[in-house]
Amino acid sequence: MRLGAIVVIGATGEVVSQEKTRISLLNAAGTGKNALVGEPLACVEIAGRSMTERTIERLLAAGVEDISILVSEKAHKPEFRARFEDVHVQVVSDVPTAIREKLNEYAQAEIEHCFVSAADAYAETDLLDLFYFHREARQAVTSTFDRHGALALWVVVCAQASEPNFEISMGKSAGDGASYFIREYVNRLNHPRDLRQFAEDTLRGRCESRPSGKQIRPGVWMDEKADVHRRARVVAPAYIGRGSEIRAEAVVTRFSSIEKNCCIDCGTVVEDSSILANTNVGIWLDVCHAVVSGKRLLSLSRDVTVEISDPTIMRQGSSCATNSTRKRNKPIASVTESINDFKKEHASLRFWQ
Amino acid sequence: MSSKGPVIIMELPEQLKQGEVKTFMRELQPLLDSPRPCVVLDCSKIQDIDSAGVEMLLQCLELAMKRDGDLKLAAVSPASAIILELMRVDRLFEVFDTSEEATRSFQTFAPVVAPQSQPWYSAGYGLADLKTAN
Repeated sequence: MRLGAIVVIGATGEVVSQEKTRISLLNAAGTGKNALVGEPLACVEIAGRSMTERTIERLLAAGVEDISILVSEKAHKPEFRARFEDVHVQVVSDVPTAIREKLNEYAQAEIEHCFVSAADAYAETDLLDLFYFHREARQAVTSTFDRHGALALWVVVCAQASEPNFEISMGKSAGDGASYFIREYVNRLNHPRDLRQFAEDTLRGRCESRPSGKQIRPGVWMDEKADVHRRARVVAPAYIGRGSEIRAEAVVTRFSSIEKNCCIDCGTVVEDSSILANTNVGIWLDVCHAVVSGKRLLSLSRDVTVEISDPTIMRQGSSCATNSTRKRNKPIASVTESINDFKKEHASLRFWQ
Repeated sequence: MSSKGPVIIMELPEQLKQGEVKTFMRELQPLLDSPRPCVVLDCSKIQDIDSAGVEMLLQCLELAMKRDGDLKLAAVSPASAIILELMRVDRLFEVFDTSEEATRSFQTFAPVVAPQSQPWYSAGYGLADLKTAN
């Protein structure tokens, strides 16, 4: 039995393609470009990999032979850390039509069943069990739901895609067929808060997925080329992404994740927060209960996004504002100098200390 | 700028950044140089604040405290509050929802009329009182 999969990124809303044939695809909130990150949340790396990449990994592990990633032309084209051989990325203008065409293509290639999923509906269900459920139910489309409602994950008989009554729908009114209940971990990625939740769940071990990189000590995950200064403190559980730098006297604590190419400058505390890729966080700051991307900060406690215009506080970029500690010949000197310079410049800010 | 008794209420500009800070500080400096300055900074209009703005707030607080006065913040927007928290200075200021509340908070600590148990020549009575007594 051959299996295919279609993962959709960036389509929004409900599209009616034919009478009685409704393809009500995705919950719009999470799939469009997000104000905090400027790309679909499913493409944002969290704990080392994006949700899309994690979904692909699960599909491949379930024995899916061919995976198509359909990207709405308005959405960001995803980049994957791993090299997937049987994964094809295709930018499309009309997502429902593209799904239909892809299903027809699969049917011609003798792929009988296909998973159709929105990239932001991350579910750690047993995909093979879902497939067996679908096969036993003998229906064209099997929808899924969890305790919070319908999920954008279906199993479809590819040959049925050309039928006029073929329907994929998010709502409960998705035909009379049996739906599959997902008991396992689900994250819908409707809001950047869900990214933070996923980082915490990954680090706490609430879900199967684990952070990328190596666990250098219990609960502390470090990715390739991550650099933590010996006078910095990383309190487990935490994740430090590849190429990121944690400078002297900085503290990363309470399930915080620092994604790739970030810099946490001297003396800054990152607590219960996720710093998304390519973000520079300045010196002597307190980042608590927040998701930070470049110069934008979402405070989870206040539910407010702030754009910080001062590049010395936060900015987009992969290098620290002060001299890099990576020059191993003079790491302590450079850090001490940078702290002293800062203190001289901001003499009145002695309250901070 | 307005005043309610000894309390001076000043509205901070929309942009509290490097350029605007000097102008505002020039305006505020004479007030902070007076004895026991009681200043409320109304932050309701602030839309953008950077490290220079935060530094100015700290300078003002320092000057006020040197002269045994105080500086309080009122109507701080969530965005400004986030910046203050981020820069670890939020705990240094008393913050109130409105400038009226901030003003009232000064009045609670203002000296009250001397109690009856104290002699008539204790603090609170002036030279005129002394002459009348005689």
